[in-house]
Amino acid sequence: MKINSIRQQQNFKGGAADAAVNFIAKHQVGIAGLAGASVVAQKIVMSGSEAVIAPMIDVGIGEVITKTTNEKDNRTRQSSKTQAIRTHAQATGGTITGVAIRALCIAASTLIMSKLGEKTGSKIGEMINPEKLSSSKNLYKYQENAAAWGKSIGGAAAIVVMMFTNFLLDIPLVNFINKKITDIVSKDKNTSKQDKEVKNA
Amino acid sequence: MPNFSKILEACNPSPEKAGKALLMLNAAGMVFAAMSNTCAAAVDKNTSKEDKKFLVPAGAATGVANIGIYYLMTSKIIKGLQKAAAKIDIKDENVRKFINKEIDKKSKGLFKKDQTYIQHMKDTYFVNGDIKGALTTEAATKYKQSLGAGAGVLGAFIGAVVGCAILTPVIRDVSAYFVQKRREKTHPELEEKPYMPYFDPSHLKPGQLTRVNKKPLTMKNYMAFTNNNNLKV
Repeated sequence: MKINSIRQQQNFKGGAADAAVNFIAKHQVGIAGLAGASVVAQKIVMSGSEAVIAPMIDVGIGEVITKTTNEKDNRTRQSSKTQAIRTHAQATGGTITGVAIRALCIAASTLIMSKLGEKTGSKIGEMINPEKLSSSKNLYKYQENAAAWGKSIGGAAAIVVMMFTNFLLDIPLVNFINKKITDIVSKDKNTSKQDKEVKNA
Repeated sequence: MPNFSKILEACNPSPEKAGKALLMLNAAGMVFAAMSNTCAAAVDKNTSKEDKKFLVPAGAATGVANIGIYYLMTSKIIKGLQKAAAKIDIKDENVRKFINKEIDKKSKGLFKKDQTYIQHMKDTYFVNGDIKGALTTEAATKYKQSLGAGAGVLGAFIGAVVGCAILTPVIRDVSAYFVQKRREKTHPELEEKPYMPYFDPSHLKPGQLTRVNKKPLTMKNYMAFTNNNNLKV
């Protein structure tokens, strides 16, 4: 659809905005339920979709480049298949470590925030608990406040922790998953056994 | 000593900023991942210095382009969806459905809350704590805030899926193809030669590779020549 005039541009923008409003109106209760989603849910959605969609795109781009450049030795096709396995291993390994670290950071920070919120008179206590709620009198609102702060601070803390765990946990796990998937795909488990025999000799 | 209260202020979890907060945290994660990949390429012992002069800036540029496009696209999607959510009319039946769903979530499952918590929840959103009674104004406010926040979170999810599952592989694979082509130009020995069957001339006399017999080069003579035992392939 070629957009030429300003009026057509306005209609296009109006059409997209109307579609968004209709979609949200139709599913409003479900969308309102997403409000409490933390970085854990985002990581699951993002990495889960990456593990499924990205390998297909890698292989597809390899095919397109091979056909466009008329490559006879199929090198790009082969390397795109290797890249697809690597992408899937990175997404799977990243999901496992990312979800675990984020969940732990959020749980720890929620605990800390709920303790700090009880300290009346302190500046941090006022910020976390501005209505000066006592947990015994209004448990729901108090814990909701602490959970909201916990998700916010836990998400930021998880980024700092992952600066270190990227090298310590992610890379070995991704390499392990990559090797297992490559063995399954090539059905050449003898190669890795031979490597072990050479190493142990 | 860092000013903790200022850091806390920046982390203030207001419902309108939920989508943007997810976007910023994800972008920060992508920045650190790109930095670690670029450092890994710079520190790799198997790569030559000349290759590193090209690979490190190319990797950094790919990361910047990727994160930039993802951030711009996702922030537009979040803004658009939140504007659309602000135009929705708040109806009592939807508020009631939402609040009942929230109460059900907290009453069941692995992380279910105790009865005191559930009763406080009912007291907050229903007049006299009666689930079949009228809704309080807090219920409508909570629903409106949650709808705006939920629209922002949905925008962040859509941006994450499109940015990381579709955009990143496309940018990475296309740039990797051009990097490989450039490497082959600067290092011609890396380019693989097409496969040629090994022709062992050891059984032939010197000079015998040329056509000794003076027969005309027709298909019939050529086929007879190839079937000859002198030509071992």
